[in-house]
Formats: sequence, structure tokens, C-alpha cells
Amino acid sequence: MTLLHFEILSAALFCLGLYGVLARRSAVLILMAIELMLNAVNINLVAFAAYGSPEPSTGMVIAIFVITIAAAEVALALGIILRLFRERSSINVDEIDLMRG
Amino acid sequence: MIGMEQAWLIPVYSFAAFVLIAMVGRYLPGKGVYISIIAILAGFVTFWFVLADLFDRSLPDTFGEWHFMLEWFTTGDLTVAWGIVVDPLSVTMLGLVTFVALAVQVYSLAYMKGDSRIDAYFAYHALFAASMLTLVLADNLLLLYVAWELVGLCSYLLIGFWWERRSAAEAAKKAFVTTRIGDVGLLIGILILVTSTGTFDIGEILQRVTDPAPGEELRNAAIWGSAVLIFLGAVGKSAQFPLHVWLPDAMAGPTPVSALIHAATMVVAGVFLVARLFPLFEEVPNVTLLIASVGLLTALMGAGMALVSTDLKRILAYSTMSHLGFMLLALGAGGFTAAIFHLVAHGVAKAMLFLTAGSVMHAMDNETDIRKMGGLRHKMPITTAAFAIGALALAGVPPLSAFFSKDEILLAVQEGLNPVFLVFFLVAALLSALYMARALRLVFFGPLSQETEHAHESPSLMTVPLIVLGLVTLVLGFVALPLGGGFEGIGHFLFVEHVHNFEFHAVWAPVGIVLALGGFVTGWVLYAGPVERVDRIRKRFSPLHQLLVNKFYLDDLYQWGIDQVALRAARIVAVFDRLVVNDGGVNGFGGTVVNAGNRFRYLVTGKLYNYGIGIVIGVIFVALALWTRTL
Repeated sequence: MTLLHFEILSAALFCLGLYGVLARRSAVLILMAIELMLNAVNINLVAFAAYGSPEPSTGMVIAIFVITIAAAEVALALGIILRLFRERSSINVDEIDLMRG
Repeated sequence: MIGMEQAWLIPVYSFAAFVLIAMVGRYLPGKGVYISIIAILAGFVTFWFVLADLFDRSLPDTFGEWHFMLEWFTTGDLTVAWGIVVDPLSVTMLGLVTFVALAVQVYSLAYMKGDSRIDAYFAYHALFAASMLTLVLADNLLLLYVAWELVGLCSYLLIGFWWERRSAAEAAKKAFVTTRIGDVGLLIGILILVTSTGTFDIGEILQRVTDPAPGEELRNAAIWGSAVLIFLGAVGKSAQFPLHVWLPDAMAGPTPVSALIHAATMVVAGVFLVARLFPLFEEVPNVTLLIASVGLLTALMGAGMALVSTDLKRILAYSTMSHLGFMLLALGAGGFTAAIFHLVAHGVAKAMLFLTAGSVMHAMDNETDIRKMGGLRHKMPITTAAFAIGALALAGVPPLSAFFSKDEILLAVQEGLNPVFLVFFLVAALLSALYMARALRLVFFGPLSQETEHAHESPSLMTVPLIVLGLVTLVLGFVALPLGGGFEGIGHFLFVEHVHNFEFHAVWAPVGIVLALGGFVTGWVLYAGPVERVDRIRKRFSPLHQLLVNKFYLDDLYQWGIDQVALRAARIVAVFDRLVVNDGGVNGFGGTVVNAGNRFRYLVTGKLYNYGIGIVIGVIFVALALWTRTL
């Protein structure tokens, strides 16, 4: 197990998440994909903290920050999606284009 | 104790009155008009303290000894101050302005009674008094210019006070635009002086012009140019040829306004300006000759037109023009004292004449045509007496005020200019006596006409100012003589550098008296006699008469110039403005933005993945850019 393994795992997870965000239609799935990307970043941070950094606590602290913010973001986003479903009976993001020019 | 340091209070009182009346006047009993009168009365009282203080401290030797300054603003090396200068000239003007303004405002109480906008009227009057007093006190050219424009504004507002009448609105516009031509000259003249000396302070500028330190001499062209341009400002304000055309039309305003602004105060601002910068003009003899010529020409033209006009107020307006011409002639001849003395004597007398004209109009339903008047002395004894005193004074009959000042002018012209000027000056003085006799005879004497039968004397609020002004006109001339108590005559008081005693020239003084009396008697006899005789004379000089009645065709010439030249040029400019500036410039920018927006709107799809792709591509580019930099 070297730093490289963690890097590959992190990159793979990030790309999966990115694909999900861009390709999915369902707002809930997009939210999950975003979580995936955030956690990929977390792995990255913790791995660097454990292997490379002269001051290991920095990366870990930032990872905890990211987790906290992700939790808040999920709460907010789920609220928006619920509201959206009540208004439109659908959470397909292709149909949500009020801001179209 | 109020002294010279507090002279700045005098305009401040009136300015405060203006603000008060304008803001809360309509809520006060009587619309607050008395505030303005209290303010000017306070100014008049303060003037006496200032005058007494000036005598106590002995007179200043040169201009600008008594400055009182407060910094106004500084920009770069240039500091401009709220400065006043208290010297005999400004104190004399303070006295004239506060006194006449007080009389006129009291008179206006009765004259404007019942007018629905009387609060605005008195607010304008207060603002005018404040600006005029600032103008005479200013110690720097910037403050002077600001006040100069403010009095022009007040003149505009008051001429057009009855703007419902088309003629009043047009006259106000004409006065404003015509004087503006002169004002532009004045502004450029001031800027030339300021750029070449680096200061606005009048004292310093005059110092630099007359007695420069080595290496600091001004270029001749600068002195010459600024003198001519500043004189142009005076020409506009003081209604001199060729910018005099606004003054007769300005009579469309209320008559007390004519008395204050267009006889005694604002129109003499031009004379005052030349007097204030007198040392500058003395440096350039050509310009003083120009001033004298313009003054003399205007004096003759004004007197001629006054002789044929049939409108009482216009007669007085032309007479004002003519006397302003006398003042500038005196200045051009180097007679500083003569000009200022005549300014004061004429100001008081002419203000009174206008107020009597107002009194006549008041009695006759605003009639101003003298052909419909006659015999008013039976109905209006006080008005008649006041008019007679004013007319005799301006005709130069001893020992009334303007006789002394006219004698001073005579001396100055005789000493300082070519004899041709003297001859024409005497002609103008003769005409002055003639038209005054004509007005007096036709309006107040002879049989009562149909229109004058129901005339009546004006209320005492109007006659008391007349009586006071009349008494002053009777005695004012004697300030020319040494009165004891350290006062050695106005020749010693006004301008220390040119001290001279009052004297009668052995030849010319009697000639002046004879001409004044002769002119007056001739006019009297002529217009008291049968109408046919006057008609016969009129016929014999028919072309001249036509020329005078048509005001030398100058109004027509200017109208032609406006229609054929100015408006045509304006149309071309208007096309340029519409096509290039408006369509191309202003609308062009707007249209470009709208077009661009219409094209770009298709980029905003509202699809989440489009934005996502955009973000990803953007991040990749930023990452690439950072990466290539680290290589």
C-alpha cells in the first residue's frame, strides 16, 4: 500500500462522481454523485496527511471540515429537492430550466 | 461693537432672509415679507457703523489695506478666500445699495400688495440684496464673478416675475441672454488675469499689474486682453452700446424692480467693476479711450431715444442708459471720483424717478403711455414733487445732487480727453435736461386728461420712500464740499491716490449750468406750447426721428442676426446632434448591447449538465495553466 494506490482510488472515485453529476437526470442521483466526489477528495487529503505531510493534522482537519460541509449541503439540497418534487411532481433536472435565456 | 471686520454681516443678513422666506415664508403671517425688510434695515444700520469705523481708522492708503479673509477652498497652489475688502469705494456702494433697497422694499409692500406670489418676490429681493452686497465687498475675482452672476439671475427672475405675460417672459430671457454675452467676456478676462498672476485676489492682481516685482511683469497682451474683456462684461451689465438692448425691455418687470435693479444697483455693477479694477485700466490708455467712447456713444443714443419715447418707464430706462454712459465716460477720462459720485447721485435720483413712475402707474391702472397722462400734479402732489426733484437733479440743475457729480464729470472729461468728447458730453447733458423737462411737463402738468381724472395719490407706504429719497437727492450733492469734522469732500474720500478738491471750472461750469437750465426751459416751453409746433419739428427731422423711434434699428438687426445666422447654424448643429451624437453615439451603444444580448442568450440553456461541462472545462484549463507554469 503506497500513496499511489490511494491516489488511484481517489481519482477513480472522483471521475465516477463527475460522470454521475454530468450524466444523470435525477436530482437525487446527482446529489449522491457529488457526495462521491467530496469523499474522493477526502481520501486524497487523508492520504497525503498520512504519507507526505510534515504536519499530518492539517489534512485531517480539512477532511473533517469537508465532511461537515457535505452534511450541511445534503440537508439543504434534499430540502430543495423535496420542495421541487411537491411543485412539479418530478425531480428530472432537464425539466428545470426556468433560467433559460 | 460692530466695525469694519463685521461688514460681511451685511450681505449675510439678506441671504438669511432669502433662505427663511424661501423655506418657511408661506407659513408665516403676511408670508414673511417683513423678514427681508428687517434684514436690509439691519444691513443699512450696520453700514453706518462700518462707515464710522472707516473714518475712525483713517483712510487706507492703497487698495486692499483692509481685508478680512476666511479660507474658501484650496486647489493645488491656488487658495481662494471668502474675502471682503472694506475701502471707501465698497463702503459707498454698501450705503447706496442698502439705502435704495430699503426704500424700494418698503415701497413694494404697498405696490405688490395682494399679489399671490409676494413671498417669492421678497425672497428674490433678499437674494438680490445679498448678491449685490457681496459683489461690492468681494476682494477676489471669483467671489465677485459668482455674485455678478447671481445678480443677473435675480434680475432675470424679477423681470420675469409676471411670467404669465408673454412680454415679461421674453424680456427676462432677452436680458439674461444679452448680459450673458458680456459675462462670457468677463469670465475669460478674469481667467486671463488669474492664469497670468496665479491668484484671484484683486489687490495682488492690481499690485502685479501696476507695480510688479522685477521679473514678474505681465505680458502686455495679457493686460490689454483682460482689460478689454472685463470691460465687455461691464458693457453687458451696464447696458452700454452695443449690448444695451435688454434694458428698455426689462421694464416689463414690476416697477420697484426697475427702480432697484435697473436703475440704482445692478446696472451700475459694470461701472463698479471698472472702478474696482481701475488701476488695471489705467495701464492701457487705448482701453480707457474705448471706455470713454462707448460711454459717450451710449449717453448720446440713450438721450436721443429717451427724447422720443412715449412710454414713461422706457424714458427712464433710456435715461439710465445715458447716465451709465456718463459714468463710463468719466472713468475713461480718469475721473474715478466723478464716476462713483455720479453713480450714487444718479442711483438715488433714478430710483426715486422709477418709484414715482410706479406711483403713477398705480394710480392709472398700469398705464405707462405719457400721451394719455397730464395734469397729475392736481391729483398726486407728493409724487409730482418727487418727480420734479429727480428730473431737475438729473438735468443737472444746481444745487441738486447730480449737478455736483455732473460738474465733476465735466472737469474730468475736460482734463483727460479730447475736446470733442467735451462737446458731445455737453450735447448729451443738454438732451438729458430736455427729455426730463418733457416727461415732467407731459405727465404732471397741463390739463387733466380723460384717463387721469380718477387718479389718486398713492398710500403712505409708497410716498414715504419717495419723500426720503427726494430729501436725500436734495442734499446729497453737498458731500462734494468739505463738511468739516475731518471730511474734506468726496474727492478726498473715495480715491486717495487721486485726491482733489471740488472746484468749479471758470468756463465750463457756467456753460454746464446754462445748458442744463436752458435745456430744461426749452423742453418745458416746447411741450407746454401747442402740439403743432412739436409736430412741425418732428416732421422737419423726420429721418432722425424715425431712427430714434426705431431704436437705431439695432433690435431689428439683432433679430435678423438671430433668425438668419444663429438659428440656421443651430439647425445644422441640431442635425449633427441628432444623427451623430444621438443615433450613433447614445442609441448606438444601447443598440450594440441589445444585439449582443440577443446573440448570447442562446448560451444560457438552463440545462444543468451544460453548466457542469462548462465548469469542468474551465477547471481543466486553469489546472493546465497552473501546471504549465510550474514546468
